[in-house]
This record gives sequence, C-alpha cells and structure tokens, in this order.
Amino acid sequence: MSSEPIERRVSYIGDRLRGSRCRICGKEYFRTRDYCVVCGRRSFGKIEDADFFYEKGMLEVCTLIKEPTNKFTKLGPYLYGIVSFHNGKVRVPGRLTDCILKEEQIDLSSFEDRGVVPRFRRRYAVQQSDIIPTISLAFTFADEYYPHQKHGIVKPKKEYETPGITGYGVYVPRFRIKEGPMERSVPFMDEDAITAAVEAGKMALIHSGADPSLVGKVYVGSESNPYAVKPIASKVAQVLKLGEEERMDGMQGVDAIDTEFACKAATSMFKDAAALVYYPGARTPHAMVIGTDNSQAAPRDELGGELDFFVGYGGSAFIFGMHDVIAELESWYSCTSDTPDFWRRDLEPYPRHGGRFTGEPAYFKHVVKAAKRLMEKLKLRPGDVDYFVSHQPNISFPIKVARALGFREEQYMPGLQVAKFGNTYSGSSPIGLAAVLDKAKPDERVVIVSYGSGAGSDAYSLVTTSQIGEKRRRQKFNVQHQVENSYIEYVDYDTYKRLKLGL
Amino acid sequence: MQHRFPAIIGVGRTKFGEHYERGHEKLVEEAWLKASDAAGIERKDLDAGYFSDYFLQITNKVGIEEGFLSELTELHIPMEKMRSFSSAFLNACHAVQSGKYRMVLVGGVEKMTDRWDKIKDDLMLLEDPWSYYAGCTPEANHELMLREYIKKHKISRENFEKFNAALAQISVKNHQHAMKNEYAHFQREVSVDQVLKERSKVHKPLGLYDFAPISDGASALVLASPEVAKKCTDTPIYIVGSSSATDYITFPSREERTGFIASTMAMENALERARIGIHNIQIAELYDQSTLLEMVSLEDLRFSKRGKAWLDVYSSCKDYKGFYEINGRKLFVNTNGGLKADGNPLGATGGAQVFEVVKQLKGEAGDRQVEADGDLQFGCVLEFEGFGTKAYVHILRRD
Repeated sequence: MSSEPIERRVSYIGDRLRGSRCRICGKEYFRTRDYCVVCGRRSFGKIEDADFFYEKGMLEVCTLIKEPTNKFTKLGPYLYGIVSFHNGKVRVPGRLTDCILKEEQIDLSSFEDRGVVPRFRRRYAVQQSDIIPTISLAFTFADEYYPHQKHGIVKPKKEYETPGITGYGVYVPRFRIKEGPMERSVPFMDEDAITAAVEAGKMALIHSGADPSLVGKVYVGSESNPYAVKPIASKVAQVLKLGEEERMDGMQGVDAIDTEFACKAATSMFKDAAALVYYPGARTPHAMVIGTDNSQAAPRDELGGELDFFVGYGGSAFIFGMHDVIAELESWYSCTSDTPDFWRRDLEPYPRHGGRFTGEPAYFKHVVKAAKRLMEKLKLRPGDVDYFVSHQPNISFPIKVARALGFREEQYMPGLQVAKFGNTYSGSSPIGLAAVLDKAKPDERVVIVSYGSGAGSDAYSLVTTSQIGEKRRRQKFNVQHQVENSYIEYVDYDTYKRLKLGL
Repeated sequence: MQHRFPAIIGVGRTKFGEHYERGHEKLVEEAWLKASDAAGIERKDLDAGYFSDYFLQITNKVGIEEGFLSELTELHIPMEKMRSFSSAFLNACHAVQSGKYRMVLVGGVEKMTDRWDKIKDDLMLLEDPWSYYAGCTPEANHELMLREYIKKHKISRENFEKFNAALAQISVKNHQHAMKNEYAHFQREVSVDQVLKERSKVHKPLGLYDFAPISDGASALVLASPEVAKKCTDTPIYIVGSSSATDYITFPSREERTGFIASTMAMENALERARIGIHNIQIAELYDQSTLLEMVSLEDLRFSKRGKAWLDVYSSCKDYKGFYEINGRKLFVNTNGGLKADGNPLGATGGAQVFEVVKQLKGEAGDRQVEADGDLQFGCVLEFEGFGTKAYVHILRRD
C-alpha cells in the first residue's frame, strides 16, 4: 500500500529534481536544504533553490541491471548509473529509460561520458489501487531522440489585441509500431498520460519563453488518466512550477483542472484559455491547455478491438496569452449532441464503439457542422484558409472530411499526422495543429476542427503573426523532429503490447 | 591505560546458511550458549546485553527483541538492540571501559532467507532509498564502484585480464578458507574459471561468485573488564582499538567512489587508540560483500597502495600460500572464508568476523590456524553498515 505522505515528499523532490545552492560558496545539492555543509550556520538564509529538471547531465559510470528489485522487474534489463550535473557539482543515481536492450553483451563504456536529459517518468510498478509513484531520475541520451533544450524566460516584446497561442509543445516517444500504412507511437513502459502531459508542457514552456509563474491556469484534457479520481493537472502544475510558487507550503498559485470529452477534452478549452487571458480583471497572463492520452484499445479479438490498429500515445500543450502571440485566435464555433458513438464505462479498462466505426452520424456530422458554421461566421471560403486540420482517428476520415469541405491536399496534408503517430485521442488534432504551426508563415490562416465522441466538435480559426518564425528557433523537438528521426525504434506487436500495458 | 581495555573471554556462533526449521530465537540461543560455555560463565554473571539485527522487524515481524531475549535467558538486565554486530560490540566496549558494567553479552542474529521474496528490496532500501527509487540494486553499487576504479586507476586493456583474475582469486581464496570452517555457509571450492564463467554467463563484471550470499545465523561473545577477564581465562583477547566512521547514504553523492573514506577514518582512529601501526596487523577480517570490497578495503585500510591492491592480490594468489604478501609482509585475510563463503547474515556477520580473529589469536582455529611470522598478536575486523555508509574497525590483541 502506498504511503501518501512519503509519495508526496519523494515526488515533490524527485519529479522536479529539486536541490539547493549556497550563495556563499556555490556548492550545490540534490534535495533541498536550509544551510550549506561547507559554510555552516552563516549560510542560513543564503541558500537558493536549484533544480536540475531542465539541465543536461553526464552519465559518468553505468552498469547493466538484469536482476532488479521487485518493483523494477517489468522493465526488463536496464542501465543504471551515476549522473552528474554542473561539471560534477552534483551527482545523482539514475536509470536510463527508453532503452530496450537487445544484445546480451553490451559495452558499458559506449554509454559512459555522454550527455543525458532528465525525463519525468513513473518511478516503478505498484499495485493497481496504489498512488502512482513518479520521478525524474530517469534519463535519456541527449545525442539521441530527445535533445537537451535550455529553458529560459524571455521578456515579452509585444502585446496583441487578440489573444492567441504564445507557444506550444508536442511530445511523442521514440517507439513506434508499423502496421500497414500507419505508424503509431508507443509509450515506453514507464510512461502514461501523466508523463506525456508534463513532457508536452515542458516543451511548450521552452518554446514560448513564458514565465511559468505567470501561468494562471492549466487545463489537462485526457480520456486515459490512470486515475479515475485525481487530476493530472495538479502534477503538471507542481512539476512545471506553474503559477507563483509558495515554497514554504510546497504549493503553486495556479488553478489546475482536468477536462474530459473523449478526444476534444483539450481543444474545448482553447477558447476558455483565450478568454481567461483576455479578461482584464483576472490578471492571468498565460493559460496552458494540454491534451494527453495513452490511447486505450481492447485486445484485437474482443469487442472494440479494432481500435488497437489505430491508437497512439502522446501529448500536446498550448500556451495562450496576449504577449508575443504566434497565432491569434480569430474565432470559434462549437457544437454538441448527445450521440453515444464511443464510450468507456467506469472501471472498464477499454472503450467501446457502437458496433461499427464512428463515421456517420458522429464524426462527419459534427466536424462538418462546426467547420461550416465557423467559416460562415467569418465569411470564409476554402480558398481563404491556408491550413485545415481535423481530428484524426484514422487516415481516411480526416481526408474525406477535408475534401467534403472543399479543401485541397496542400491545405490538409501538412496537418495530417495520424499516419505517423496513430490516434493520440485528446492530442490528435492539437498535434496536427502543432505540425502546421511548425511550418506556417506569418499571416496565414489555420482552421482546426476537433471531434470528441459523445459527441461534439470545436472549430477554431487562427491567424499566424510575424513572431512565429523567431520563436520557432527555440524548439528543436518539433513535430518534424519526432517524425523523421534516426533514433525512432520500431517494435513488434508483442513488445508494443508489453510497453502499452506499462508498469 | 592498557588495563582498561575490555577483553573477550568467550565466543560462539552458529553455522551460517539457510536455517529453514529454526527461528531467530533458536539461533541466538545456540550462539550465546556456546559463547557462555567458552567463557565458563553463568547467566547471572552478566550485567548487560547488547544485541544486533538489521531486519528482524521486517523479515520476522519481531518488535522488541530484548523482550524475547529476556524470556529466553530469564534475565532482566539492561539490554539494547543495535543494527550491526559491530555497533553492539563497540557500545558494549564503551560501557565496559567506562566501568559501568563488568561483564556483557554481545550477540547478533539475522533471518534473511525467510523473506527471499523481498530481501533484495529491503537491503536496497536500507542502503539508500533514493538509489532504490532510481532503480539501483545492492549489486549495482559494487559494479559502479568497479567502473569508477577502472577509470580512475586507468586499468589498461593489457592489465584487464589480470585485474579480473585478481578479483576472481579473492573468491577462490575465500572458498578455500571456508573448506576448513565447519560453520561456513559454503564449504566447497570454486575455481577461477568458475568465477569468470558466472560473470560471462550474465555478461557482467561481477557474477554470482563475486557476491556474498543471503544467510541466516547468529553469533555471540562475552566481553569483560580486564580484571574480570583475567579471572576467567588465561588468554583474554583485548580490544585495544575500536572505532567507527560515517559517510553519506547516497553513494553517487560521495566524493570518493573508488573506496570508502569511512574505512580509512575508522582504521586510522583505531590504530591511534591501539598505539600501533598498520604493519602490526597480521590478520584481518574484511567485509567482502563482494570480491571488489575485499580488494578496495586493502587500500582503504592502507595495507595496499591506492590503485595497487589488485596487483598485491594477483601476485599473492598466483601460488596462494594462505596469505597475501604485501610489502614483504604476510597478511592473513578472511581466514574463515569471508562473507563470500562463510556467509553474511547481516546482524551476525560482525560476530563471526570477531569470532575468527579471536580463535586465531588464541591459537584455537584448528585446521585454519595461520602460521604468522613470529607470534600472532594483532588482528583487526572491518565491518560495514550499508554500502560503506558506516565502517567499524576493531583491533584485537593477545598479550
């Protein structure tokens, strides 16, 4: 059984890799402390917070673990070693993650003396009913799939009249399964919807340059939260230090909320985030919206098993604000009907369909309605739109709907990412939007239409600004990087099932 | 001063290994009865008891061990429970030295095989929770230290084979010693090839035969003031220097990772108290949780030069005569088989180490009796808690 206070304390330190630095002698510590062992009592009050969450470490020595302690056995063989930060000022124990060791004989020295990046992951396996333990003492190599990126706060240059996206991030792991025309993203065993939410949020903060303490609200949309009750958003807020930090109490001055509406749980909140940052009395300079899912599917031979050919894993995060906007939120339209096309009952592990695929009258009806109404509202013709992105449960639906709305290939193909990542549920259309924003020039219009079973659609029109290009340079880990990367590892179906099941 | 040194007047222990049918009480009973018998004392002579175990609360759900011991011995004397045998022993020495007690029973026990299912987790959590959270195992720390050692001392490719062989020889030597120890967990020989084969089987730098096993067992001794000791025995073994030192719980955060500074500090302090030099030590029981730790302990205690212990081991073991030859002097190490072959029931291990040095100094080691150059007078014991988090050194002397 989990101990709630122990989990709280270990996660509080371990998730963010919190530490301390002595302002007198510069000595650094992993784990917070109130005085320096070198400087003694005179250092009281002269210790500042340090954390290693965004830092690049160095794997100094490592060893192969084949017979781990009980909670790590599911991982299979893994590398474990000593990671140093700041040229050896601090050393921490660390597990190498995202690594399926195939060869029996490995040369440990080929892994040593290489840069590593801390990754926020599940710590180890626990009982189904326990608190999920997490930690960032998991690392991947900086010279592989996931690069090290500095996080800095950039002073805003320009205030806009219309709220919009000020930064975004996408996180998809390096594992893929390839079946037929589709590649789908596969989580490593220590990942879930919570870890992808944090990773995506981290990327969005890096990209936007926004001061995390000025993020007043975070929304996390998901339909695969491993908890039935307990928000993902609280973890995101704590780990990413959103809102003003109340250090003494270990609290963040931020509102955090999880939302659920199948695959539109995140997009639904775009307008709320934009409205919030626009509202003059609220003083919320930034609001973050995350869509994250470890998309669930029943085994192939069971009811609902057809989804197992389409599901992916990943997260996306968008920061909304009024300053240094890269895409202004021009307008929106949302529609809803009580259409039970896809559902997952409480305590059930997998969702179900209404016996056939959810095209008509679910997906097409709502997406077309929302798109048409938005375009009517703005008096737009297809030719006025540069990019069209829709929810992507498979390859055919988004193409069919784009064509039905009169869009051409060059308008809808850049945002069509399902063939590379699979259906990432709440992250699906937002990843498409991110792929478009990665490419778009200033003053281009993007129409995005999400779809959530149950059912509803949100249609948004965004117009890019002149700042889109300069901010792009801050993000190496863009969608293209995650699509075309020599470190992508393709796994077979058995491995996929094992990884997907998780710790 | 010399007269205030506390003295061991009797030692006893059980066989180490898996005691499936016997609980901790039976094991403790056997060890203390043997020690009392050897000392020729009665229960009523005891002023106090100091005991040790790491895990009984976890493995056997035993809370107040002293209560069990009170019931077992029908004694109501002061009793304290520590973690390692060495800490119980050190505290007992302090109490006798202070004049508070004249005769004290020191005992240790562990029942590790009762919880094969989770003893590795418990061991690792004891060693360091943060390393545990990151996926560490008790063995992994030894392997990381080995990697650090190879890097720091630039063990070249041409020397690598010799270096690996030296570590294997430590295991071979300890198994050889254990052949003559009726109490040892493993009374069988292994060859260098076997040690190396076990490593290559798992493609790891250290293998099955490099690590001490999980064992059950108990050990005990009777400690007395010098005045009392002289009345009880003709050959009291004096504890002339006993000391301990502490280091960070998290191995990666230590500055020194190719050895344990706690060992060095404890040894320096103990030697100072004993007013002797390292060259006076003729026999040593080192805490070989792994073959690597026996090797680095030779350096930590300053028997061997930094980065050179493996050469001392290698040259001594090519044609092993029962001792290491370091700087032209004989050093008998782990003559009971060490933790590797004698066994390692944590709370009792230190007692078996002291048992061995006492037996050797008294000339009662039977087939194992070492042949020192001149009289065998000084021996030392090194015990750790955790992965070098605490080190205890006791220097024993026979007059």
